Amino acid sequence: MNVLAMILAGGAGPGLLVLTAQRPDAAVPFGGKYRAIDFTLSNCVNSGLFNVAVLTQYMPRSLNEHIRAGKPWDLDRSQGGVRLLHPYQSHAEDRGGWQEGSSDAVRFNLDVVRESRCDQVLILAGNQIYKMNYQPMLEFHRLRRADITVGALAVPPYQSHRFGMLTVDPDGRITRFEEKPRRTRATLASMGIYVFEASVLTDILLGPGRNHRHLGAETLPWAVRHKRVYAYEFEGYWTNIGTITAYYEANMGLLADIPALELADPRWVIHTPSRQLPPVLLGPEAVTTSSLYCDGARIEGTVVRSVIGPGVYVAAGAEVRDSIIMDDTVIAAGAVVDRAILDKEVQVGEGAHVGTGDNIPNSTAPALLNTGITVVGKRAVIPAEMVIGRNVVIRPRATPADFPVDGVPGGATI
Amino acid sequence: MRVVAMIMAGGEGSRLTVLSEHRAKPSVPFAGKYRIIDFTLSNCVNSRIYDVAILTQYRPHSLNEHIGIGRPWDLDRRTGGVRLLQPYQARGSQGWYRGTADAVYQNIDYLLNRDADLVLILSGDHIYKMDYRPMIAYHEEKGADLTVAVMNVPLEETDRFGIMTVNKAGRVLEFHEKPKTRDKGTLASMGIYVFNVSKLIERLTELHKMEPDLDFGKHVIPAMIHEDKVYAYPFEGYWVDVGTVDAYWRTSLELCDPNSPLNLWDPNWVIRTLSQERPPVKCSAQGKVVRSLVSNGCIIHGYVEHSVLSPGVYVSPGAIVREAVIMNDTWIGPGAIVDKAVVDKQVLIGAGVRLGWGDDWRPNAERPDWLDTGITVVGKGAHIPPNLRIGRNVLIYPDVEEDVFTVPDGIIPSGATVTPQAALLPPAAPAVVMTASDPAAETPPAVPTTASSAQEVNA
Repeated sequence: MNVLAMILAGGAGPGLLVLTAQRPDAAVPFGGKYRAIDFTLSNCVNSGLFNVAVLTQYMPRSLNEHIRAGKPWDLDRSQGGVRLLHPYQSHAEDRGGWQEGSSDAVRFNLDVVRESRCDQVLILAGNQIYKMNYQPMLEFHRLRRADITVGALAVPPYQSHRFGMLTVDPDGRITRFEEKPRRTRATLASMGIYVFEASVLTDILLGPGRNHRHLGAETLPWAVRHKRVYAYEFEGYWTNIGTITAYYEANMGLLADIPALELADPRWVIHTPSRQLPPVLLGPEAVTTSSLYCDGARIEGTVVRSVIGPGVYVAAGAEVRDSIIMDDTVIAAGAVVDRAILDKEVQVGEGAHVGTGDNIPNSTAPALLNTGITVVGKRAVIPAEMVIGRNVVIRPRATPADFPVDGVPGGATI
Repeated sequence: MRVVAMIMAGGEGSRLTVLSEHRAKPSVPFAGKYRIIDFTLSNCVNSRIYDVAILTQYRPHSLNEHIGIGRPWDLDRRTGGVRLLQPYQARGSQGWYRGTADAVYQNIDYLLNRDADLVLILSGDHIYKMDYRPMIAYHEEKGADLTVAVMNVPLEETDRFGIMTVNKAGRVLEFHEKPKTRDKGTLASMGIYVFNVSKLIERLTELHKMEPDLDFGKHVIPAMIHEDKVYAYPFEGYWVDVGTVDAYWRTSLELCDPNSPLNLWDPNWVIRTLSQERPPVKCSAQGKVVRSLVSNGCIIHGYVEHSVLSPGVYVSPGAIVREAVIMNDTWIGPGAIVDKAVVDKQVLIGAGVRLGWGDDWRPNAERPDWLDTGITVVGKGAHIPPNLRIGRNVLIYPDVEEDVFTVPDGIIPSGATVTPQAALLPPAAPAVVMTASDPAAETPPAVPTTASSAQEVNA
């Protein structure tokens, strides 16, 4: 059986605010040294799937840099391997151009499906964090002679409003699909990953579903009514890092002694292009409790319950608590970072205080940022002694001149 | 000018004891995630030399595995790239490399095939950062046949090096290999040579007829000084030969200081290595690490101070690691204390073990020349049973199983050696570690299960 994996990685990830200002959500750093898409890509190769297409659209440059020829995943192959599929122009009226949703994205790349001569297409999302062997799901799909198999996950009732909910018969066939229902008796949620028979996929997207834009909201409900659609239940850790809170919690979850998502698993290695950096250096005064540290980090101050990315420098006397610090960020002496996400190459000046005071929801995105997390964009320079409240968003490349002299109040956006 | 580099990586490094038992010295792990040869290899590619041959002989498997096709150094190239040159059989020759120059002599074909003008001969044994381009420019500027990189060493160490005297222009006048007297100056050869290929081939062919075990320091350089233009290129910078356990341990621990003389963080001179795919270092709520260099994949539940940890080391709750070098995937059990030790890969240190214990600093009885500074060395894959106490200057061989450690009182005294067959305790163990019921101190306490093999080894 020939399977083509298509990873949808073109999403803008608006819920991640400045973290996705210059990259798609699939390329957001996660767990220090990884990016979100590493999990799905590693799942593919660990499942023995070596024919992978990554569909991009929004700000793909960092993703291109990250994946390149696919070396870390052993996907630099002469047959199959990884391909990055970008939007393209075309003369035909109904093809090419910008893609307006997941169905659209797959439809524009049906040529690739045809040319790979695959039997099934495994459609995956680039912004999900989980470890899953896809082979049992493909096996299930073949045994049931399904047209489509949907990866599904049991969720508690109070979460049903976030998912497409599935009702299944005893054989696993989906009898009913409800998109983000407030109330439902269904307990199985669609994970947004699908096995399609290649011919069925082509027929739907070029035929009755030619106007569908979204797989989950349009194509799947239609298919449940007209095709053999089954649900394959996945039991394991799975999360979607669609919002700042979900992203933060997923990172913090790695710090548990026995985390739900075990990264130190020699039988299911998460591959990523590791930078050539020396080991972590911990200084004589370092405090290092309950944290993750990536190679190249130098810690001379205090770090508590945090994820420290590669090349980060925490000076003596600085303090980092409950935070996520990405690559090459520098935290100068005496600075305090509390419950914050600092993107790459941020500079926190001496004595600056990031994340302090009351929990006032962010004024421009109150629904997204109300749990006290302050987010600082890539390469922002925070001046010395600056005091920044909670739920603050600071844009990428902010310069000291962008900051008010008397500090940034909670809930503000710069 | 076509320049090729040849790295001598066949050395046994016997003074590193069990660390080079299963691998050649260039392949010994260093600074957590690196191996010694990474420094020389990275120097080559950082100097834009992409044509590199590595000459192996002693236990090459771990080195072969590490180098692979040279990807981490971008040496997986169509033209040039890295080649591993093993000894080989040929008609009328027995094959093994009998000296450094003999190794090159046996690979003259390689030099001819590469069509090189200059060959840079390097040693895979040293830790240093050096741009070879200024040295090559110097060589060309002087119109030299051979240029030797030199540095000043302390007078009391001159008997470990090839010492040379030079004139004002830098031309070498005299060369003394490991001189016994201290009057030859302090300018030492670093074992880094630039040769004109044609001249090298000429001299090697000529000298090889007289000296089959041809060596650069012993034969080639002394012979060339009188006939050819030999220049010394002064190098100033960090350069260390980690040839002994003590030097290895001290150089490693130096890296834990923020102002260590060897800067591994320089973005303009990246030391490249085969990075393993490991998650970030994890330090748990009860874990604490200070003044240490810790590689990815380590999990720390205990206390680590002034130590270098390679990828995947696990420090259990309540364990203490102090002034130690611990290599890949070693497991340190709950409550174990490791003090002043070098522990190779995949060692299991049982719960409550005291490794590097007590105030008895006697040198190792079997090899006092190797171990006399208090460092205890544990070979790859040894399994140390729970609650054992192991003294100072103890040498534990690779793959020693738990039952070999069945000794009186659960104590391996300082200066002992533990082979896979038996624990060889030092002849005169002091009263503090021997109880009254022990047999006479002159006869080593025999291990009940393996007494016969102990005698064998002693014999």
